[in-house]
Amino acid sequence: MNVPTIVTPELQKRFHVPGRIAALAGGLLLAASAYLPWAYDGDALDNMAFLGGPSTLQFLGALLGLLLAVSAGMAWVEPWADRKGILPRLLMVSRRAGWTRGTKALGVGLLGFIAVVLIAIALELGGLVTIEYGGWVALAGALLGFVGSRLLTPGRAPSLEKVKTPAWLEIVSIAVLLLVALLLAAYALNQNDGGTFLSILAFIGALVAFILRVGAGGWLSAAGQRHRNVLVFSSFAVAFLFPFTQNGSDANMSIATQVLIFAATAVGLNIVVGLAGLLDLGYIAFLGAGAFTAATMSQSAFATIGWKPPFIVVMLIAGLVSATLGLIIGSPTLRVSGDYLAIVTLAFGEIFRISMSNLDGSDGPDLVHGSSGIPAIPNLNLFGFDFGKVHTVLGIPLGRFSNYFFLMLLIMALIVLVFTRLNHSRIGRGWVAIREDEKAAEAMGVNVFGLKLLAFAGGAFLAGLAGAVKAHVDQSVTPDQYIFLESAFLLAAVVLGGMGTVMGVLLGAALLKLVPEKLRFVNEYRMLIFGLLMVLMMRFRPEGMIPNQRRVLEFHSDDEELVEEIEEDLPYEFAEEH
Amino acid sequence: MTYYLDQLLNGLSLGSLYALIAVGYTVVYGIVQLINFAHGEIFMIGAFGALSTWIVLSWVTGGSTAWWNLPLMLVGGMIVAVLTAVLMERFAYRPLRNAPRLAPLITAIGISIFLQEFVRLFYGQIPGFPDAKAAIPFPQLEFFTGPAIDVGGLQVHRGNFFVMAALLICWIFLWWFVNRTATGRAMQAVSQDPDTSRLMGIDVDRIIVVAFAVGASLAAVAGLASGLRYGNIDFKMGFLAGLKAFTAAVLGGIGNINGAVVGGLTLGVVEAMATTLIPGQFGGPAWKDVWAFVLLILILVFRPQGLLGAKVVDRA
Amino acid sequence: MRNKKLLGGAVALLSASLLFAGCGSRAESSASATGGTATKTAKIGVIAPLTGDLAVMGLGIKNSVDLAIKQANESGAIPGWTLELAAEDDQATPDVGANAATKLAADDDVVAVVGTLNSGVAQPVQPILNSATIAMVSPANTSPNLTQGADLSNPTRTYPNYFRTCTTDAIQGPFAAQYLFESGIKKLAVVNDKKPYGQGLAEAVAAKFKELGGEVVADETVNKDDKDFSSVIDIIKSKSPEAVYFGTEFQLAGPMSKQMGDKGLNVPLMGGDGIYDAKFIELGGREKDLATSVGAPIETLESGKSFVESYKAAGFSDGYSAYGAYAYDAANAIIASLKQSLASASDAKSARQATIDGLSSVSFDGATGKVAFDEFGDAVTKTLTVYEVTDGAWVAKQTGELK
Repeated sequence: MNVPTIVTPELQKRFHVPGRIAALAGGLLLAASAYLPWAYDGDALDNMAFLGGPSTLQFLGALLGLLLAVSAGMAWVEPWADRKGILPRLLMVSRRAGWTRGTKALGVGLLGFIAVVLIAIALELGGLVTIEYGGWVALAGALLGFVGSRLLTPGRAPSLEKVKTPAWLEIVSIAVLLLVALLLAAYALNQNDGGTFLSILAFIGALVAFILRVGAGGWLSAAGQRHRNVLVFSSFAVAFLFPFTQNGSDANMSIATQVLIFAATAVGLNIVVGLAGLLDLGYIAFLGAGAFTAATMSQSAFATIGWKPPFIVVMLIAGLVSATLGLIIGSPTLRVSGDYLAIVTLAFGEIFRISMSNLDGSDGPDLVHGSSGIPAIPNLNLFGFDFGKVHTVLGIPLGRFSNYFFLMLLIMALIVLVFTRLNHSRIGRGWVAIREDEKAAEAMGVNVFGLKLLAFAGGAFLAGLAGAVKAHVDQSVTPDQYIFLESAFLLAAVVLGGMGTVMGVLLGAALLKLVPEKLRFVNEYRMLIFGLLMVLMMRFRPEGMIPNQRRVLEFHSDDEELVEEIEEDLPYEFAEEH
Repeated sequence: MTYYLDQLLNGLSLGSLYALIAVGYTVVYGIVQLINFAHGEIFMIGAFGALSTWIVLSWVTGGSTAWWNLPLMLVGGMIVAVLTAVLMERFAYRPLRNAPRLAPLITAIGISIFLQEFVRLFYGQIPGFPDAKAAIPFPQLEFFTGPAIDVGGLQVHRGNFFVMAALLICWIFLWWFVNRTATGRAMQAVSQDPDTSRLMGIDVDRIIVVAFAVGASLAAVAGLASGLRYGNIDFKMGFLAGLKAFTAAVLGGIGNINGAVVGGLTLGVVEAMATTLIPGQFGGPAWKDVWAFVLLILILVFRPQGLLGAKVVDRA
Repeated sequence: MRNKKLLGGAVALLSASLLFAGCGSRAESSASATGGTATKTAKIGVIAPLTGDLAVMGLGIKNSVDLAIKQANESGAIPGWTLELAAEDDQATPDVGANAATKLAADDDVVAVVGTLNSGVAQPVQPILNSATIAMVSPANTSPNLTQGADLSNPTRTYPNYFRTCTTDAIQGPFAAQYLFESGIKKLAVVNDKKPYGQGLAEAVAAKFKELGGEVVADETVNKDDKDFSSVIDIIKSKSPEAVYFGTEFQLAGPMSKQMGDKGLNVPLMGGDGIYDAKFIELGGREKDLATSVGAPIETLESGKSFVESYKAAGFSDGYSAYGAYAYDAANAIIASLKQSLASASDAKSARQATIDGLSSVSFDGATGKVAFDEFGDAVTKTLTVYEVTDGAWVAKQTGELK
């Protein structure tokens, strides 16, 4: 990002000591302010109107403040501990951490957090006057911490990943971290108040930024690389546990299930866009094709096809129908590429939608009842397991959406497996080669056309599977659900999250579906914000939130420091693949 | 027979609208090889600019719909449209000039959504302006609207004359501008070879801005024409019109101004004829957009250079 | 070494105090807060598009329900209970509607829901609310399938919790056809916008018109995103009909009427309650254009007039729109049922089933006429009014019942 440098290195050299003091003091001030009332009225966020009794959000703020103080103070604690010979081994680890970088990140994050909280209070209660003195003290603390942290010299780069740690510690850390993530997610999702939800997001953002900049991210990712199976397994285990944190309420599960369906489709799109580099602007049609296929073969009284095979078969057929469509849409890639291909796919998406609403008996065969679609699709019943019923496991009732959530989780696992296997195979490298330079790839003997078709068909197949489940989750399928905007949303999930990575797309999909659900007060403005976000993202971070490292290189080839950093890492990644 | 002539005329007037918008796609593409996907929104903004001018005028004139409102509305629409296009180029596209392929296209989709929402949410907030969340009636100027004129048995809507005349005038003006002015020739040079043009002392950035401005002013003309012809405008009018106009530009050969005009007229006629000539269940108005898109795909696959030929850059 | 421990101890103490301090002061105050309230709370949900293209109608629904709730609270309609509004946005999309329904179903205070606007959104919402035994009263769904199931010749009620205050296509369409036929029109052109509402209505009109012995000379569709209808108008014109029935909402019908006039097709355009809106005339509706709307004209009904007056007096920023009066009636039907069901209930959740049962026997004079439901949950009132554009405004022409 090209943030203009107001704080020059010279300034930092001169003022780093007062800066450190300011950061320390700011953090402590903030922690102390949690005891003061922030808001005039208890209705804002989670009731911050008390003197001497911090609310959860205030407590989280205080935690960040203390963290800032500790992190800023480490520069003095370290030499002092060294002199006294205290805990030499811990000190060695600490020396590898980028405390100053972490302080800087936290300074920004903390200011952001306080800003979000205060703005939310002002919005919810109506005006800045509703912020009590404690809120201003907190802001002063955050500002002090921010300015102070800016004045610090960047200091050493973290190298925590080179610390040798026992395997059990790494595995436990991964598990604990994921568990914390689960609890945080469950807590955030149970907030019905948009401001609280957003504040927690800001808190998580600040914390994650701090952890990454301190260097723990490097250590964690190194640990994750070493114990990849543990990581994958515990991720799914945590997701599997999620419905159990909901106390039988289906409200969040409904959203979570839709996030998974959306994410599964987005991962499919990621094969086409992220790996093979083919822009598809009509991808929602594949999800639609799967949903319509499943709907016409369902037990619904409105279904038009008499043949009602078991759901497993329906799902495969739905996938195959989508894959066939994918082949058809992919076939012009023989002659069309780049922007033109994007337009062809957009046109296909529109043709699909219009055709579906025309198949109503008056403008075409009555296959899907046109724009009214196929309603009253019954719940699934697989091997005697009724998805519509509430099942009680370990005393916790799991509702209808939890059941579908588990099903989608299984499908998601399959999709992620397919995606990563493909990505790390000959085929995946072929796609990347096509993406980088089609002509060179062809000269090297890569079957360009075949691989492109495979990308389209494979991605579409996955979307078709998700669509088949979606038909039963929504219980009704109409053409209006598959408009161009949905394709744009899918693409945005891929782009915002990070092209070519599974984690990024999951994150992007979750944010895109969750934020509008939770932030109903910005609902009117959500499309506006979304459009702006797409523009800003392309301008400042085109590689996405969790980028594929190869892609970062592509977007920032002029940033030499970054290139070096990544190239250092790359051989490792490649070594994993073979 | 009159019936088919009627339909032909419908097609030509719709096609003229497409052509006016398509020029914007083609001029920009010819120079920076960028599909300015948000161009449809510039058309919409042009229409709103014209409407706003009329509303402001009506505070003085008390809502007069005399013919002399037209040039003022046209200028108003153009100013707003050009301003939006230039700002868009400066702040969204220019920083991405050398970015990898996907970035500008995704940016364009983002801008498109942003502009639509911006108009929808904030147009009505301006005191004295109508709410833009639903369609807004467009002032019906005397002489340019009103009952159809009978031309040898054909009922010709006055708006049709306006849009077709506007296309003709713009086309001639554009020809003169591109071939007879220094800026126009500089545009040609940049589209041939930007690097050499730069060496020859042409300010490439300025030429790109000019290209955006030219496209935007024609889109504003189209916006005004659309308002007069159909009697209402709304915030989402730009999406489908923009998509169709892009189709027209590709049909004629993108980067080629004459191609955009020919492509626009062809697409309009194809759409009008598809509603009547294709028999059976798959004909009729319900399928006309499908046929238009099928035509687009076929052209892209089998004759990507379009009807009149174009400079096709492989940007994969 | 000792110093480090000291530091650790201080941090632990600090965090502990943070926690304890929090517990102490909070517990006290929450006790005092609950002590003050004497009444119990029940919520009436609303699921409608509050943002996006259709927000105008959705906000009208929300505000009208809000009005009914406020009136009930002021008059103390249900002793011992306070009613609250829980409005959720469905963005006119089925998935979002399903989320909204799930959210309301998870709220134990919700006893009934007014919504949805679109039949397409009602489809996934129905089963979710049904499994939570929450009554659902729609002010605007017109698809007959929602109450009578897939096979209309052999109707069966699919969801016992579902009711509606508006009429279905199956009543409004034939009524319009009947009016047209009786006013001497023998050749009719039918157009629809390919949306469930418009298409259902147009098909119903065409079927009844043929049954009466009239001729449907053209059956065309338009794209809902289009502005240019000249091709379709020329097709219709070549068949020289005496009237055009356009199944759609005012956004398309107004411009269509204008373009028909421009093209010299000077026959009246007729539509359903979706075009019965002043905006239709603003957007180009011509004199002599027709629309049907459910119930007797509002100005002839005392209850209708008082709704319009109190809506204006309440000072909502958006108008009550096409479905406000139906939503007001829907909310009042729910409130009428709640009078019985809540009276004996200990909490809102336990009153849900009784509320559904009570709705079947509700009967009163609402803003749109008599409000009561038949065995499928459909509104019993079959009174409709034909309006005509006269001197730039809708004027009631004829009120009657479907024969």
